[in-house]
Amino acid sequence: MSPGPDARVRTDEMNAEGWVLAADTRRLAAMVSAVREAGCGVAVAAVGPRSLAEAAAAAGPDTVAWVETAENVPAEAYAPALGRALSAARPRVLLAAATPPGRALLGAAAIALGSVVVPGILRLSVKGDTVVADRTDLGGRVIQTLGSGAPVAGLFGGEDVPSHAVARAPIERLDAGSPADIRIEKTEPASGASGGVTTADRIVAVGRGFKAKSDLGLAESLAAALGAEIGCSMPIADDFGWVARERYIGRSGQHVSPRLYVAIGISGTPQHLEGVRDAKVVVAVNTDPQAPIFRRGDYGIVGDLYEVIPALEAALGE
Amino acid sequence: MKVVVVYKWARDPEDAAVRSDGSVDWRGARMAAGEDDPAAVAVGHAIAAARGCGLVGLTIGDGDASWALARGVEQAVAVPDAPSLTDNAATAALLAAAIRWIGDVDVVVIGDAEAYPGVPAALAGALGWPALLGVSTATFECGRLVATRRVGDSEQVVSLGLPAVFGAAAASGEKRAPGMKEILAARKRPVTAVPLAELGGTPPDRLESRGTRVPEAGSARVFEGSPASAARQLVAALRADGVL
Repeated sequence: MSPGPDARVRTDEMNAEGWVLAADTRRLAAMVSAVREAGCGVAVAAVGPRSLAEAAAAAGPDTVAWVETAENVPAEAYAPALGRALSAARPRVLLAAATPPGRALLGAAAIALGSVVVPGILRLSVKGDTVVADRTDLGGRVIQTLGSGAPVAGLFGGEDVPSHAVARAPIERLDAGSPADIRIEKTEPASGASGGVTTADRIVAVGRGFKAKSDLGLAESLAAALGAEIGCSMPIADDFGWVARERYIGRSGQHVSPRLYVAIGISGTPQHLEGVRDAKVVVAVNTDPQAPIFRRGDYGIVGDLYEVIPALEAALGE
Repeated sequence: MKVVVVYKWARDPEDAAVRSDGSVDWRGARMAAGEDDPAAVAVGHAIAAARGCGLVGLTIGDGDASWALARGVEQAVAVPDAPSLTDNAATAALLAAAIRWIGDVDVVVIGDAEAYPGVPAALAGALGWPALLGVSTATFECGRLVATRRVGDSEQVVSLGLPAVFGAAAASGEKRAPGMKEILAARKRPVTAVPLAELGGTPPDRLESRGTRVPEAGSARVFEGSPASAARQLVAALRADGVL
């Protein structure tokens, strides 16, 4: 008889070679799918509220081990104890999202398990005693295939996919032990977090390809034609102060998810691309055909923005 | 007690050349300061000042160790013969061994590098300490570490007991890069070099590379021709995709 929803289990009773460690729902179904395609049974360790465990159960795993977080205690506080608990399960593969709490969970578990740690995982397969992993590396310029006789703890580098699971997995409580001494003291909306670029359906973002602040009028005109918000890369807000800081898009700025993101004169540093990871269609305009933004982009024009922007406006009007 | 800031602990991926067959040439690239390293130094300074304790810089590999000295770090420790390792856990084990060698450390701050996101967390695991990553500022108040970080659309203030590992993420470019005078003065200051052998040797890199290749898809469809022609093609494609 399977345990009820509040039964307490040990990880070694869950009979899963592959574990997904989740502190939120980001890329959950894609990670479950990647572990499943590796040929492993899949368990999710969901560290958070009951709603996270429910979301994990619908993402297609065989089972969910739920670690309930106490009020004002972040998931990271459970990382050392969860790591010790998971080492008993002796998984071959672990996967987590490359978010701060996801990484903290993975790092502790990886060391407890004696596994290697690999970022950017796209695909995994377990072949005999070896785990083979494809990962994206060098900012997406190459895919590297790696093999290891050790368990592999990976940070997921693939895209999200919808869950096709028809059945909900059982949720079992995992008593991971006492959390570390970490408390959330205060949570406030970040400046500019409501409205503006964070909720925009279309964004025109400007970068260092613009030579002067007065030239931003070109981008504003294009944004008006597209019904888009203006965003920018870090130097434009931070070094030059040409655009308000709440419109800076990047890892430590706004994370945006528009249907259309037009990056103009932006090279595409890793920290900027992290902020547009959830954009649906990315268009890049840059003079440098080797700019990393073209690797992330769906469409591109290699050219001088001072010529391309007026041409785009004209084409939109046709 | 000491605060350690880890800097220049990885190579810059932009220093690697990718050939048309997908092979990678690092062209003798050295360990370089990452874009988050100045933020790590700033966080380290803030915590050390609030606690009234020392700030020690730790670097591995062949980069210029005086980088942190030029930024006000009192003492620099380098492991010059440390190799660049594919396994983030192996890099973390090497850093953890060096931190234990320094001794009397209860806070470690490391740049939360986008290209090597497993290292800060694995370092915390190797030390057996909690990790808080993506931190933008931190200090020490009433016996606890207090850090701010961005989580989605929110800014979170988190407090931690000691010891702890912080991954510092740059919220802006370096505000005050040292001038030539500070750089030259730093180069004259001693750096404590610790050979790998003294830390137990190179951790085994348990990952075998079976090759690299250029991604088949993933690059943008680039529209050619005059600006007017390229723009018309782009707008047509966006309309066909239903985003316009």
